[in-house]
Formats: sequence, C-alpha cells, structure tokens
Amino acid sequence: MRFVADLHIHSKYSRATSKDMSPENIWRWAQLKGITVIGTGDFTHPSWFKELNEKLEPAGNDLFRLKKEFRSDDIPDSCKADVFFLLSAEISCIYNKKGKTRKIHSIIFVPSFADAAKLNIALSKIGNLKADGRPILGLDAKELLKIVSDISGNSMLVPAHAWTPHFSVFGAESGFDSLEECFEELTPYIHAIETGLSSDPPMNWRLSTLDRITLISNSDAHSPSKIGREANIFDTGLSYKSIIEAIKTKKGFIGTIEFFPEEGKYHYDGHRFCGVSFSPEETMRHNYLCPVCNRKLTVGVMHRVEKLSDRENGFKPQESPLYYSIIPLPEIIAETIKIGVNSKAVENEYQKLLQKLGNEFKILIDVPLEDIRKAGSPLLQEAISRMRTGDIHISPGFDGEYGKIKIFEPIERKEIKGQAMLF
Amino acid sequence: MFLKGINDSQKQAVMTTEGPMLIIAGPGTGKTLTIIHRLAYLINQGVKPENIFAITFTNRAAKEIKERAGTLLGRNSVGVFIGTFHLLGLRILKDMLTGNFVIYNRDKQVNLLKPLMQGSITKAQQAADRISRIKNFLGDMDDEIKEVYEKYQSELMKNSALDFDDLILKPIEILSSDVAGKYMDSFNYIMVDEYQDINPAQYKLLRLLAHNKSTLCVIGDSDQAIYAFRGADVKNFLNFEKDFEDSKRITLTENYRSTGVILNASNAVIKNNLKRIDKELKPQGEKGQPINIISVPNEKTEGEIIVKEIEKRIGGTSHYQLMQPGISKNPKGCSYSFSDFAIIFRTNAQAKAIEDAFSTSGIPYQIIGKSGNLQRKEIEDTISYLKAVINSNGSTNYYSPSVLDEASLLTPADFFDSRADAVTLMTLHMAKGLEFRVVFIAGVEDGLIPYTMKKDSTDIEEERRLFYVGMTRAKDELFLIHARKRFIYGQRFIQPPSPFIKEIPEEFTEYRFIPDKTKRFKKDNQAGLF
Repeated sequence: MRFVADLHIHSKYSRATSKDMSPENIWRWAQLKGITVIGTGDFTHPSWFKELNEKLEPAGNDLFRLKKEFRSDDIPDSCKADVFFLLSAEISCIYNKKGKTRKIHSIIFVPSFADAAKLNIALSKIGNLKADGRPILGLDAKELLKIVSDISGNSMLVPAHAWTPHFSVFGAESGFDSLEECFEELTPYIHAIETGLSSDPPMNWRLSTLDRITLISNSDAHSPSKIGREANIFDTGLSYKSIIEAIKTKKGFIGTIEFFPEEGKYHYDGHRFCGVSFSPEETMRHNYLCPVCNRKLTVGVMHRVEKLSDRENGFKPQESPLYYSIIPLPEIIAETIKIGVNSKAVENEYQKLLQKLGNEFKILIDVPLEDIRKAGSPLLQEAISRMRTGDIHISPGFDGEYGKIKIFEPIERKEIKGQAMLF
Repeated sequence: MFLKGINDSQKQAVMTTEGPMLIIAGPGTGKTLTIIHRLAYLINQGVKPENIFAITFTNRAAKEIKERAGTLLGRNSVGVFIGTFHLLGLRILKDMLTGNFVIYNRDKQVNLLKPLMQGSITKAQQAADRISRIKNFLGDMDDEIKEVYEKYQSELMKNSALDFDDLILKPIEILSSDVAGKYMDSFNYIMVDEYQDINPAQYKLLRLLAHNKSTLCVIGDSDQAIYAFRGADVKNFLNFEKDFEDSKRITLTENYRSTGVILNASNAVIKNNLKRIDKELKPQGEKGQPINIISVPNEKTEGEIIVKEIEKRIGGTSHYQLMQPGISKNPKGCSYSFSDFAIIFRTNAQAKAIEDAFSTSGIPYQIIGKSGNLQRKEIEDTISYLKAVINSNGSTNYYSPSVLDEASLLTPADFFDSRADAVTLMTLHMAKGLEFRVVFIAGVEDGLIPYTMKKDSTDIEEERRLFYVGMTRAKDELFLIHARKRFIYGQRFIQPPSPFIKEIPEEFTEYRFIPDKTKRFKKDNQAGLF
C-alpha cells in the first residue's frame, strides 16, 4: 500500500524541543499531517524508552501503535487514520579523525524494543544517554555503524541531514568529502542518506557516488506542528521489514516530500550575526572570509554540493524517485492573510481547512485547486497552485537562519483578491 | 638504527650499559623512548634477551614498552622480562618453588582473618590493611598484630596460599637463602622505571637481584614521587648514588610535551622543594598561552566553567548551542576530541560537583579509579587468570604478551580505558604518566592543595610534587581553578587559593574572576585578587 513515513523526530527529552513531544501528541499530529509511519525518536533516552514501552503496543509488523487508553478524540473525522510508530533514535558522534574534529549525526532504526534495549546497554558504556534525547558519544561514526549492525541484521544506520555544515557526514565544518572517508570498508552498509531541509534530490543527483544511495527525507521535528515538514512516500507492505527493504533496494520507495531547499537554514553561506548571506560564488570571491568580521564564513549546503559534485546542475538520472516540494500549510495561510504564522487566525484557518479537506499532505499535494478555493479562498488556491509549480520567491537561508518565502508581491495579493470580488 | 631519533642525553643513557646508573627523567622527556632504545641497544650488543629485566610501576607502562619494543625489535624482543615487581616475583616463585600454590585475593584474606578477629569483618579488614602495610614497609609490629600476623601466615601456608604482598616477600626469602646462588646469575641487566616510587620491600628484592655483576639502571624523577601513602620512599631515589657506589648519572632535560609557559611555571613551583635532585627542564615546543587562573564562586560554577571551555574548543556540541552568540567556532582549526581534555583534582570528594556539570551537558566523561567495584573486578579477573597460569602443569611462558596484558596488579593507572573517547576525570594520584592537550586542575585551594582538610599531618613537599605532576600533564593549555566557597564533606568551606599559585611567576599567568551573581566573564589582571 501507499503511505507516508517521517522517520526522524525528537521527543521532549531532547535539547531545545517542545514539551508537547509526547507519544499522544505525535500520534495526533501524524494524523493531521497525513503520516502513517512515524519514527519514535530518542529511544536511547531511558525515560522516553520507558514511556514508549508503556504507551505503545506491538502492531505485529515490527511497528507499534498507541494503546487505546492514550488516544484522544479531538481529531477531525476527515483526518482520522491509523498511525504506526517505528523505533528510531539519533546519535551525535564527536571524534577526531585524521587530525580534524568530526561531528556526525546518524539516525538509527531497530525493529524491536529488545534490540533498542541491547543498543542502549552497549551505548551507555560509551557515553551519557540521560542528558539528551540525542546523546553525544566520543565514538567514530564507523564504530557506531559496527555496533548498530551487530545488534541486529535488521537494524539500520542513516547519516542524518547529510549536508548541514556542523553535524553531518558531508558538512563543511566537521564532515568528510565522501562516505568512504567516514565509513571506510563498511560503506556498503550505508544504504541511504537523509538529504536534510537545505538540499533536495536534484542537488544530490549531481554526485555520481550517491547513485546507489536512497535519498530519504524526514522532518527532524522538535515540536508537533513541525512533524512531516519533510517525509517519504512508500508503496510497499506496511511493516518494518518492508520499509527497510524498500530503503535498501529502492523498490517500493516512491519518493519524498521536500522543503524548498532554499528555505532550509543552511542552503547558502554566510554569517548570521553579521547579516551576510552569500552564494557559493560570492563566498569564493571573498576567499571564504566575512566582509563584516573578517572571520571564516559558515559554508552552507549548496556550496558543499558544488564542491563535491561531479555533474552539472540540472542532471537527472534515468530512474529517479518522485519528489514534491512543499511549503508548510500554516506558512501558506500566513502568507495569504498577511499575519504571523504562529497567530490564532492562522491556527483557526488551518483547523478549518483540515476539517473540510482532510490532512495537510492531501491539501498540499492531492486536493484539486477548485476544492481548495471553495474551502479556503482564491488567494489560497493561487498560493497552493504556485507552490505546486514552484513559482515562488525565496531568499535563501544561511548560517542557521531559515530562508524567507514570498509567494505574492503585495500588488498581486490585491489583484487576486480583486478578481475574486468579480465572481 | 637504535640511536636514531633520540637526543644527545638520551643517546648517552642508551649507550651507557655498564655500572650502576641513575637516569633522571623529568616529565615529558622521553623516558619510555629511552628505555626502549636502551633495551634494543643491549640486544644489539649481544646481550641475551633472557638476561634483560625491565621493571615497571604499572602494567600499562609494561604494555606500552612491550608493544613499542616489539615494533622496534620484532621477534628479537621476545624473552626480555617486561613487567611489574609483582609479575617478577611471580616468575621467581614459579622458577624456584616446587608444588602448586594459589593466590588469595582481598576477600579471601579477610575471610581468613575473620575468625582471628572475633568474627568481625571490619576488624578483619583493618587487620588485612595493617598486614599489607607491614609487608610493604617491612615495618616492625607490636605484639597484638604480631600474633594475628603469625596465625594468618600459618593459615595461608596450610592452604598453600600466598597473598599479593607475598609475591614480593616470598622471593626475598628464597633469594636470601643459599638455594638461590646460581639462579641470580641470569639477572644481568636490570632497568627499574619510576624508581622514586619503590617501596621498602621492592627495594630489598632489588638489592638481592642487583648483585655485583649486574648493571642496575634506575630511571625516575624525585619530583614525581607521590606514593608515600603506599609505602614508597623518595629517599631510595635520593640515596641511589650512595647506595650503589661509582654510579653514573644522566639527566634528561629536553621536554617534548608542554609549552614553554607550562614547563617554566612548573619548574618555578617545584624548585621550592628541598628533598629533590635539582634539574631544569628545557621546553622544546613553543611558548604557548598563559596559564589560566580562574576564581569561581563555588564548586558548581567550577564545573560549569570547565564544561564551557571544553565546548568552546570542540566548537559547540549541538545546533542549539551554535545559535548562542558566545560559542566561537574553531578557535584553532578545531582538531580536538573529548579525550584531549582532563580534569584533575586532589580528592575523590570533589568529583561529584564536576560530574554533575558533565551529566547536565551530555559530554561523555569517565572517572578513573573511582569505582571500587571496577578495581575489585579487574583484580579478581587478574587473580583468576594468574591462578590458571600457576596451577597449569604444562610449560607456561609468563612473558608472553597476553599474560602481561592480563597481569595488571593493583596499579591504579591501569584502569584507563584508552578506547573510550571521553573527557577524563581523576585525582592527581591517578594522573601520573598521562598527558592531555588541555588540563583543568580543579579545587586549587588551600586545604585541598596542599591537602589538610581530613589529615593530621601533611607533607608539604609531597603535596607540591602532586601539584607539579598535575601541571606537567598539560601539553597546550593549563587551567587552575579556585572556588571561593566549596561544599565538601557535608559542610561549607571558605578557603583562600592554594599557596602554590603564588609560586608561579605572574608573567606565566592570566587571571579571570567570575563574580558571584552574574555569570558573565570578566578579565582581571590584578594579581591582588589572590
């Protein structure tokens, strides 16, 4: 069957996360977003592990579901659906390799609580699992891969947000130039990378070394509403094994739902505190130095892709999975009614649209534009239409600052509203 | 080839093969390198490996020498004895004793003593400690303990058992008798590492082995003698040249470890000791940054400051941190890993506060030597292994590397897990022989350094040596942290900074004062604060 999966999120036990990241809320928001399989995140954290153990039950497919007594009934009928949890975690490896500090984040999937417990025991001897839902280990990422593989033949490690500057396998600050440099002879055990918010599949296609790699996308959500801002579409059996198999073989892996990469926090280069945002060419022209403070610029994702790629921009492989570039619905609503994305008005409109049209992915990707106009407004219809065709303006994100999306020029907004009045 | 890659004084030490010799090797002067090259040189000169004995203070040191000698010499190093005094004692017993024996661990010792102490475990434990001290110090005993001691020994004998200390005492007994005669002829070339830490029993065994023909070579540093509490006596080191007539002395002075600032500051401190052989270490590296002396409000902020400084050097440990303005990225091109950092303190009672800061931060850390259980387990493993070796009837080669790997005998620094990449927390006593790029000495306060809080008498020179050992662990950067208030041993202490800080010339230091209420950093160059 066809379903959407977001396999990388964080619980309330991770640093800088919302206290609302509980199994109940994750279950609820997965439905609002249209996600069938959601990662639990943070199974390495003892308290989260305990809570998951209490509130989830096996669904018989090495996935888990929320026990009935924890389910709330405040979900619009239009969104109600089954949600399955997949045991996932993220580890931060900080170590020195070849004279350089490396900081690599990896996502880990396991099929059972027993395997999660085994891994937790192994890792607790290496570092502190209690301080952070995403623990820091002074461990070579390759050693982590070894440990994960030894736990179970069905476990999987995926380099997380592979291009971000500070904590990723290809990151400019503390990563590597290839998967082989990082994982050496174990590289064949890496079947996928997470492309992260600041890169999309076309950027990754420019590296022929990634041809065999499945490009997965997840939200890395730290609060419930951010769940599903990126996700994967599968068409396979609804089980842990089928999902892993699809990632390994690309068979049954349909594609991804993506951020516009420019909106990501590290698409461009720059200095956040100096207000400097540069394209890769500009950075090179400035010799990688900030014109304001004269220190090294933070080199972003686009730059790294340019550096490591061996193909021209625009290359498309013969059999490439689908990808949909989306803007989160609340942001689109905020853009149409010109009000802050966290405002009550946006929240009300969001809930109204979900009730009428179904979950968010449905609205963004599938619902006919005409229905959107009826349920929402002509402006919303036009906004979603432009998003679907990629006809939008984005000033790229840099050095931790999200990119800024603009769907309409102020004059356009009036015109579209005006036209609507005629009908 | 065995003279390449070593400096002039090291070369001299390597090539002086005859006659008693004292090599004075300060911290970071390439002591291990010298030992290995001397070993290689001897073999190259035609000395049989079986006639060479390298005695180390820890099993970790033995392992390192063994490995590096193997690299340099290949199979030619096979047959050389490299190990601790205990392992040497074991070998002598195996060679000289007929019949099997077992070694009793601490639990068995206490069990044996219990009936002799009216069934009291506490008293049995105390008696075990006293007996151990007597055996190490070769001290006199009063009538009361003498009775227990003798009964204990006869119980051991009934069970064909020896305790750990007997691994030294029994060989002394055997070698003192006529039986030994020819056996000792094989002990031609003896090298003793960390000679300043030798205790009276070990000294006696060594005197027996180093008979006329042998050429004894001892290596050490009077400034790093810190095991008085275990019976070691720095006098043995200071008196070596009187003990062994016509001995030669070579001093290794080139230090390859620390920056000029750290080394010169350490020199200035240790110069205040009287019981020492004077030497001036010469830095080979760059001058480096000033030593950071930081005054913090209390033990909590002490831990926080340390964590913050480590995060700064690692370049932030999370995205969240990078969003905060204070975190500087890559101060030095960023090549640190967690194992480049150590926090060293005088007493284990200080560990908790620092541990709390690390637990909160999530930075991986390890405490060396804190867990009594771990130590006990290691010892148990060793014992069971030794038992297997001793009781096996087949021919067993003690000197094979695997035996040495296992045969760690009660030496604290052996518990360092080099695979774990974590920040190291440990006491000054545990730090000897180790080095780190960045060292924080915590609790540099009067009462802790020198330690007078829970002690009747304090040997100020031993305390200064401890501080010196701590300082000289640092390669690039050294922090000395003083808390104005400290909660320790269940009460609040208000202590001035350690008097040793005043012994560091101001030109080598930079003061930082963290005020009580705000946690903002403030630079202050007034020495008057201290």
